[in-house]
Amino acid sequence: MKHLKIIIILFALLLAALLTLMGRCFYLQFFKSSHYVQICARQQQGRIIHQPQRGVILDCRARVLAASSRIQTIFAEPRTIKDPIEVSNKLADIVDLPAHKICKLITESRNPGFVKIKTNAEVEQCRAARKIYGLGVQSGWKRYYPMANLASHVVGFTGLDGDGLDGIELQYDKNLKGRTGKNVFLADAARRPISDSPFGSNNENYQLRDGVGIILTLDATVQQFARAELLKQYQDFGAESAIAIVASAKTGAILALVSLPDFEPNKVGLAQMDTLRNRAISDEFEPGSLLKPISAAIAIEANAVSKDEKIFCENGNYRGKGFGRIGEYGDHKFGDLGVREILINSSNIGMAKIGQKLGKNKLYNGLELFGFGKKTMLGLPGEVDGKLRPLKKWDGYSITRVPFGQEISVTAIQLVKAFCILANDGKSVRPFLIEAIVDNNGQIIMQKKSPSDVGFVVKPEVANWLVREAMAGVVNEGTGKKAQLKKWQVFGKTGTAQLAKSDGTGYSENEYVASFVAGAPAENPQLIVLVSIFKPDVSLGKGYTGGTVAAPVAGKILEKTLNYLEVESSL
Amino acid sequence: MNSIKDNSLARNIAMVVIILMAVGVVFVFSAGVSVEQEFDLSRFYEFPHLRQMMFFPLAGLIMYIASCFNYRKFSMDSGLFKSPTTYILALSAILLAIVLVPRFGTEINYARRWLRIPIGAITISFQPSELAKWSVIFFLAAICDRIGSDIKLYWKRFVPICGVVAVVAGLIITEDLGTAAFILFLSFLMLIIAGVKFWHVLTPLPFCFAAAAAVLIHSPNRMRRIAAFLNPEKWADSTGYQANQSLIAIGSGGLFGKGLGRGICKYGHLPEDTTDFIFSIIAEELGFFGAAAIIVLFIIFALLGIMVIVRCKSRFGQFLAAGIVLSIVGQAALNIGVATAMLPTKGVPLPFVSAGGTSLLLTAAAVGVLINIASQSPKTQIEDEQ
Repeated sequence: MKHLKIIIILFALLLAALLTLMGRCFYLQFFKSSHYVQICARQQQGRIIHQPQRGVILDCRARVLAASSRIQTIFAEPRTIKDPIEVSNKLADIVDLPAHKICKLITESRNPGFVKIKTNAEVEQCRAARKIYGLGVQSGWKRYYPMANLASHVVGFTGLDGDGLDGIELQYDKNLKGRTGKNVFLADAARRPISDSPFGSNNENYQLRDGVGIILTLDATVQQFARAELLKQYQDFGAESAIAIVASAKTGAILALVSLPDFEPNKVGLAQMDTLRNRAISDEFEPGSLLKPISAAIAIEANAVSKDEKIFCENGNYRGKGFGRIGEYGDHKFGDLGVREILINSSNIGMAKIGQKLGKNKLYNGLELFGFGKKTMLGLPGEVDGKLRPLKKWDGYSITRVPFGQEISVTAIQLVKAFCILANDGKSVRPFLIEAIVDNNGQIIMQKKSPSDVGFVVKPEVANWLVREAMAGVVNEGTGKKAQLKKWQVFGKTGTAQLAKSDGTGYSENEYVASFVAGAPAENPQLIVLVSIFKPDVSLGKGYTGGTVAAPVAGKILEKTLNYLEVESSL
Repeated sequence: MNSIKDNSLARNIAMVVIILMAVGVVFVFSAGVSVEQEFDLSRFYEFPHLRQMMFFPLAGLIMYIASCFNYRKFSMDSGLFKSPTTYILALSAILLAIVLVPRFGTEINYARRWLRIPIGAITISFQPSELAKWSVIFFLAAICDRIGSDIKLYWKRFVPICGVVAVVAGLIITEDLGTAAFILFLSFLMLIIAGVKFWHVLTPLPFCFAAAAAVLIHSPNRMRRIAAFLNPEKWADSTGYQANQSLIAIGSGGLFGKGLGRGICKYGHLPEDTTDFIFSIIAEELGFFGAAAIIVLFIIFALLGIMVIVRCKSRFGQFLAAGIVLSIVGQAALNIGVATAMLPTKGVPLPFVSAGGTSLLLTAAAVGVLINIASQSPKTQIEDEQ
């Protein structure tokens, strides 16, 4: 049976071959498995990224300050286009662009994989363009600022990649941004998703979550009043920059915040660097006479002086060992003045003497309580502390200069906070900008709570006396007459500070900050307005003092806003 | 004549084959999905994976009918021209010739291998080379049994037999080099079994190689496949793509597989997933243990085949059984070798498992003949004791 032997030998060989194949499978599936699993992951996974819609920024009456809308961009992939002329002609019929321009874009593109043809294309155009080989449609979001310059420093702006770079856009970037949706799936050879389940339950997946909306305390109308009035004066006086802030006196809610020069957030790329800075929180300056009511309040609160006490103002020339010479503005020569008259006439010597009576410890502590020397935590990026020098560095000059606003630097928002405290019966106030945060369904997920730091900085009698008697007197009888209103009793204080020379050798002769802080109505203050105009052009001969340059602006802003808010007439 | 029922050997063969065919139906169905796929039962015949479900019971039926048909009828005991084997071989040759005529043959994947016969709404595709393979095996078994030791006569016996085989292989070689080479290889093995002198067998080999080389030179596609086999990484994106994807499918399956129906490679990543590379899909979804089980089933089939051959008393039966089993298991080894990239890519289906009606039905018929041979052999002592 020779053939049986041969058959058995052949079968043995065949079985050996099969066993070898089994070994090969074991090699591939045990030793090399992880290698092939990796290749699989690379080859067979697709992913889709969904960009979330950035949240809106609204004013307190739900007017849109910033919003994102979806835009479709038609693009070409030049390397895949064999006949640019034909493609251009076809596309020219779809989008209203001349064919030769499209052709030029395609042929002269530096990037062989992508060239933008038309942004903001319509749905029909996109559908038609998709059918042409070599063209594609990209979907994205575009940030719009419908109010343009109006609230540019508060709202801020975003960069090309959609990240917030300044203002609320930066401060609340995380909330506004939402969460990018990511969908990792297994794909077939044409990269179509195979199925959501059972493969889709993958921890690499993120659900898309659009950004939340932010409602500001800002009122676009009030902002418009403030900006228009300030801009007019800023231009008339050829000033370098200007600030106006309108706050709700009792709560510290910011209704308007203007910093000039400002910028157009829709074209932020064209803006000059200098215009991007929010001067109301980033620039510190010596407040000058604006600080006098605050110093006086601290002194009366500490019983260092009484309201009726007469203080001899040295006939305009006060000198002594350790503090040099102090004169009056405009070379006035005052004799005995009460605290009210000192404020109305803005006497430096009177304030210096009050400071000496008060002592540096109490003055320092009082200023700290009013919020100077530290950020107000308004909620905008770039806020600075200002400079309240530490007590051990105070000397005889300090205690006689700080009471009338020298040797101390403040920000505009700090001043607003301090005067809000006076207007709020001496109770602490913290300025804020965020009214509420709402999710995509309109549900409020965070609302402004009443400030936790409630407490009296000065007694109500002291605060009310300063507002109703002293500061109302400034407007009625003193330097702030230009802020008077027919319907409401305004209170305020002027400030005309010389700017320190940049080389640090004293004060400049013709560079001033003209400021006016005002509020109304005095009986029950609703609003605090601060206007500061920096470096009005003295050579124009129109004036440069707070009473001349800033007070009329503050008055008009107050008048329009009180009318708008329908505050009852008090006169 | 004993029936299948009371012969455990025949029963076991049928069982192994039916398990393999059932696995085939499941995996052809699994591999047949695609993303945009929707079943349209009114056109089910156009979907290979649905068609396969119909072929399965049909194959079982054909296997049973063939097993009832006495295999001795295929022998040439009563003369060359009274045996059906001769006529089947002639029919194969004619069909092969018809396929080559452009009007009748249908090109699929640049090869003319199919006859399409429209019957009403559906079209039956028929692959004559499959029939040719079986008819050559039957012919060689019959003729070698008939001429006995005369096979040693070189000019009078060996050369004419080689001539017949050469004609059949020659008709296939231009369109389907793989099947032609496989037929030649099987013929070579069967002649050795029949007792041909070894140096006789060597003489036609130069002609075979010359023919293969000529075909290869005329077809750059085939040359590239060889090159891709020798250097798989370099050709991973083009010619070696299939082999590379097959390795990814098998390798990513790991020991336990991704789970039945959960393979990914079948979604267009691995072409020919229902036919030539069905093994890769099984290995991907069931892992090493699934792949090994398929190989073990073929090993069991081979061992059962050996038992049939050993027990069979007739030389013709032994030759025929050996040819059938060698053909089936050899083809399985070839297919798995291609899937695991141990052999260059060749379109050879995995018997019983791959999609394809002609192959499945004809293989089932051949197994039916094998079962008939098994059922006619005397029972062993062990079975007698039972």
